Amino acid sequence: MSSQGSGTRSRQGIIPSPSNPSPSGSGDAGPSQPVSRPSSPTKAIGSLAKKQVDVTRQGTQKLKFVPTIPSRRKKECEPSSSAIPSSPDRGRGRGRGRGRGRGDGRGAAPARPPLEMTASGPFAMGPALAGQSGRRSIPRSNFTPIVPPGSGSSAHGAGLSGTRAPTLKNDKEKEDGVSAKINEQDEYSDPDEGVEIVDMENIRQMDWAAPESLHRDRNEGRKKKAFRIKKEVSAEAAATDEVDLANALDLSESEEEEELEDLIEDFALQADLEQDPGIRQERLYFFQFPNPFPTFLPKAPSQDEVPMNVDAPSTTPKRVTFAPDSKPAQPESSTASTTPVPEIQQNSVDDPEPKVDGVIGQLEIHQSGAVKMRLKNGIVMDVAAATQPSFLQHAAYLNMPSKRLSVLGEVNKRFIVSPNVEALLSAMDFADRDDQAAGAAEDLTRMDTA
Amino acid sequence: MDDSDDPVVSVLPIHYSNALFPNLHTHQFPLLNRPLQTPPSAALSGKRIRARIKPNVRRFEVLVPADTRPGFWNADRSKELGAARMDDDRDKNQETAKGKQREGEEPRLGEVRMRSEQIPQKGAYMLGIVRDGHLHLHPVSEMHQLRPTLTYLDALSRKNKRRTGGAGSDSDSDDGPPPDPDEPAPRPPSPKKEKKSAGEPREVQVSARKSSDDKGGMQPLQGGLSTARREILLAIRTENEEAWEDLEFCDVETADSESAFEAVFSQSAEPLECKTEVTAFLKHIPGL
Repeated sequence: MSSQGSGTRSRQGIIPSPSNPSPSGSGDAGPSQPVSRPSSPTKAIGSLAKKQVDVTRQGTQKLKFVPTIPSRRKKECEPSSSAIPSSPDRGRGRGRGRGRGRGDGRGAAPARPPLEMTASGPFAMGPALAGQSGRRSIPRSNFTPIVPPGSGSSAHGAGLSGTRAPTLKNDKEKEDGVSAKINEQDEYSDPDEGVEIVDMENIRQMDWAAPESLHRDRNEGRKKKAFRIKKEVSAEAAATDEVDLANALDLSESEEEEELEDLIEDFALQADLEQDPGIRQERLYFFQFPNPFPTFLPKAPSQDEVPMNVDAPSTTPKRVTFAPDSKPAQPESSTASTTPVPEIQQNSVDDPEPKVDGVIGQLEIHQSGAVKMRLKNGIVMDVAAATQPSFLQHAAYLNMPSKRLSVLGEVNKRFIVSPNVEALLSAMDFADRDDQAAGAAEDLTRMDTA
Repeated sequence: MDDSDDPVVSVLPIHYSNALFPNLHTHQFPLLNRPLQTPPSAALSGKRIRARIKPNVRRFEVLVPADTRPGFWNADRSKELGAARMDDDRDKNQETAKGKQREGEEPRLGEVRMRSEQIPQKGAYMLGIVRDGHLHLHPVSEMHQLRPTLTYLDALSRKNKRRTGGAGSDSDSDDGPPPDPDEPAPRPPSPKKEKKSAGEPREVQVSARKSSDDKGGMQPLQGGLSTARREILLAIRTENEEAWEDLEFCDVETADSESAFEAVFSQSAEPLECKTEVTAFLKHIPGL
């Protein structure tokens, strides 16, 4: 090319030069010269466009832009030779339209980010695999750590180490094994000239302050969901068969199923998770009960309730007791069930609550995924997953005497507890019937006297 | 009814304990997506997350050190904002105890202050933890939302406004012409003036003229300051006057947190009696 360049210089205007609009262009060893030859006698008009020069002013070989298709695997030997010249003309190369101008220098980072599970946030599912690699530098002693981004949900709030929430779309990859998703990483051709290939999903791992990446659904989540629900065996056959079914499938219904299954995962079968001794396995859940939270007291001879104002400002205790005229029990210790109850009238709301500790009922998980709380006294409550926030939530303990604010951990999931309507209505009926019976008796007596 | 068509798969006994009552809180960080940690760069220089509280007004702050690496942090701007924050702190009577760095070098903005806002609770909140096949519940007394405070920006814009005379500073981001070196830097006429300027120009007037009683002074001047506003101003003032108490912030991995965590769990398996009926829920719906 340089020979051609010198040749053109000497042949100005005499021999028609073929116009070369090729990108590699005719090279000029020295200062670039206009390649047009206006004084040519022939009709051929040279290209007025400035051709790209292969060699820069420093005389080093400039790199050509060759688009690489990601699936191509052949190595380019050119990058290795031009490793050094690439740095000085990096800037220029960028201007010339290189697609990826991330000249960090070659070898700055591995071409493929390490295969790790990264934070994925509240919508990501994943069991509490403790001690996960891919945690950030500061290990959280908390539970559910980072969940792989491949689990099919938006990485909104991905940094929360302990957060999981039922997804809005498919995320039940747990069943398939978390690793199945992770292993699918796009294959890229090797980087050339100092361009670092970073998978967008793994940006989070690059630096402590790196942003979260939105998750990209790698697989057809819907189809997978259909598989699981229908429990088909063959993937391809199911794909073709299920297409119609998937279309016909009620999406909301399948979402519900997922959420309910999530509840099962939350409560049942914690034992099969790997136990990392250094890290707490238990996840923190947040339950919202309706007011009033039922009062529970240890079994004591005299039962007591005192009307309390439920909606008093925030520092009031949650429990509400109602009605009549009996004295509340003030248990001294929670363990003895037969301690005599001291008779202290507890009228004011701000009195310290009796310390109570014990079993109040049981949580039943049904096969359909419905979760019910069966408390004493016939109280049945339904548990449902609440809207999961994407932000960080801490459970904290404020210890004023020792001036300490301890963080107990991050709240993973929120649940809403509501009274089971059927049980409620039947209890109302029952109560009404009782009232009626009592009322009728009174009426009778009244009528007699009247 | 539910056993026939929907068999129970598993049962977890529910334990209830209120051992840590009423000190168990939930803190929400609405603008934060990742765990609350000191950035590694700040941790290397020894900074930690701190906290402080004003117990009477139930407000606390969590001070999180910021990532001050050169690629992420503008040091010049941090000096400017640091000075503004110092002024703001001084005016609002909330200086941090650390005065070391102010001796000689300019103050820098090195931390993010997250201020708490208490949220009223709807219903009874419980913290539940599943351990060994048992669900342990503990009541949550307070819920707070923490957001970064940027009140130093107010101080900065006020300073700039004063500097430029108020006429030229239409945009807050415009710093205005550099101050004339001969003229002294403008200072607020009185600290009380700043205290009251919680966003409303009217209050500035009020506090400058106030003698002893706020309510008495405001009435004739404003001629229409509503009761609610007065109450709010009073609340703001009492809050600003209360001093911060430092708290030790124990992160999740500390031993204190571990012991507190263990205390949440219920220790006994004794069944408790329930005193309320299901119908209580219906009866306590307000307005029903």
